[in-house]
Amino acid sequence: MQQTVPALDHIRRTIPQIRQELGISPVSVRPIRDPAIYALEKERIFKKVWLKVATAWELPNPGDYKVKELPVADTSILVVRGKDGRIRAYHNVCTHRGNKVVPNAGFETFGRARANVVTCRFHGWVFGTDGALKSVPMEDGFGQLDKACLGLRAIACDEWEGFVFINFDPQPAQSLAEYLGDFGRLFGGYPYHESTTAFRYSTVLKCNWKVALYAFSEGYHVPTIHAGSLPGFRGIEHTDFKLMGPHASSTIYGAGMDAAPSTQTFAGLLHGSGTHAPRPDLLPPDINPQRRADFQFEIPNIFPNLLIHLASGCGYPGMSFFTHQFWPLEHGTTLWEGINYFRPATNAAERAAQMHVNALHRNAWLEDTATMEDTFTGIMSGAIDEMQLMDQEFLIRHAALTLDDYLTGTKQ
Amino acid sequence: MTMNEHPAMPAGFEDLAPLVTRWARGTENERNALRLAASAADFAAFCQAMGPRLPALLAYLTDVPPTPTEPADRNALMLACAYGEAAPHHELYGGSAEVPFSFDARRFVPDHGGDSL
Repeated sequence: MQQTVPALDHIRRTIPQIRQELGISPVSVRPIRDPAIYALEKERIFKKVWLKVATAWELPNPGDYKVKELPVADTSILVVRGKDGRIRAYHNVCTHRGNKVVPNAGFETFGRARANVVTCRFHGWVFGTDGALKSVPMEDGFGQLDKACLGLRAIACDEWEGFVFINFDPQPAQSLAEYLGDFGRLFGGYPYHESTTAFRYSTVLKCNWKVALYAFSEGYHVPTIHAGSLPGFRGIEHTDFKLMGPHASSTIYGAGMDAAPSTQTFAGLLHGSGTHAPRPDLLPPDINPQRRADFQFEIPNIFPNLLIHLASGCGYPGMSFFTHQFWPLEHGTTLWEGINYFRPATNAAERAAQMHVNALHRNAWLEDTATMEDTFTGIMSGAIDEMQLMDQEFLIRHAALTLDDYLTGTKQ
Repeated sequence: MTMNEHPAMPAGFEDLAPLVTRWARGTENERNALRLAASAADFAAFCQAMGPRLPALLAYLTDVPPTPTEPADRNALMLACAYGEAAPHHELYGGSAEVPFSFDARRFVPDHGGDSL
């Protein structure tokens, strides 16, 4: 039986506490507008803090790898599971002359290292999945070559609940567990690894990354933006505010996600399934601690660019959880990634139902993303200098304050 | 055109066979393309034919593996998925092929878009 972790009582905030702690003043849009701030964000945030780049279940077997392009850190990375089962991360850079070892097609590329080695296509240098330089064609022609020092350049890499994080700082100021802190305890214990059926969408948005992040960080917009796709979503309550250092979280309660007749039929099938039915009992004890029947999902902000919406089948029918991530490509360009996670379908009917729920959520995301480029254009116009934020937008206020702390050096 | 000229459907669902050629597709990209090219009348006709039959079709598909091997079963799954894609446009969006007031769906890239059922 799950029990509330008493140690987490200190993360809870009432609205008056939130107002007192974070303030109620308008928040400057300069960090969104100013390209010079983006340059600082790259150096002081994205090259210093832990960033989620993969999941362990994306790389189930030794030799499985993922190449991820990260312009925000001016690099391409190789995340690979070694023979010993451990996942490691490297700069995807050949130590010969700097070529990409594994070529990519798009922002994410998956593959399998045969015989647990990867070979640079330029001159054939061979690296093990443990990073070691294994062989060099015509090695004698170099005169001297210290292969022991010419392995792939490692990046700090660690896992939390199967989510793979990296840190570009050669000597991270904190371990991943320290960095996640109370967030790791709040969200820990859910069987994320069982939800291996993933539907990933991405798009390149012409906006600063924080415009996209902030748009997905509040429930205030739901009755207006989602009037089309979620017309029955009613009684929405965005509450249970929590602050956890650089991270924050909150809960969406409500009802009526399955308003359309078709959704009711598909949802009925999933809700009647032992595998996909709502499982509030699986939620970590401090999320929806009252086990309210109208729980939809937890909406956190894991600084700087990750949201994990934990639902356990209680919100969108059958959906275990979904994530958003916002990767800056340039000051005014962002790669958005949204991934829906389900437990694997056990029959064709469940598969069809998951496809419907996935399509419905994709449509809601299309409604969300419709605002972002217009918002950025508006902010860049100079017509406003501040955002007016209400209580349900506290995740934005908290993220903006945290960003400021990192940029000014208050936090490292 | 006779029923026999349509792609196979499982026994008991032969009445849905005429919908297969028009709507049943194996990938999300194909279903999206069909949806974006459909009219309000197309959505209405499809949903009126499929909606009442969906519970029975799903009941049948609960005994079919997630990746069907029988062509008739695969057609049934593809038709159910096509309905799942199309129904919101009839039920929620007034017959519009696009999600109203939305981002351009053509700029949204599903990684799994080319994966076949």
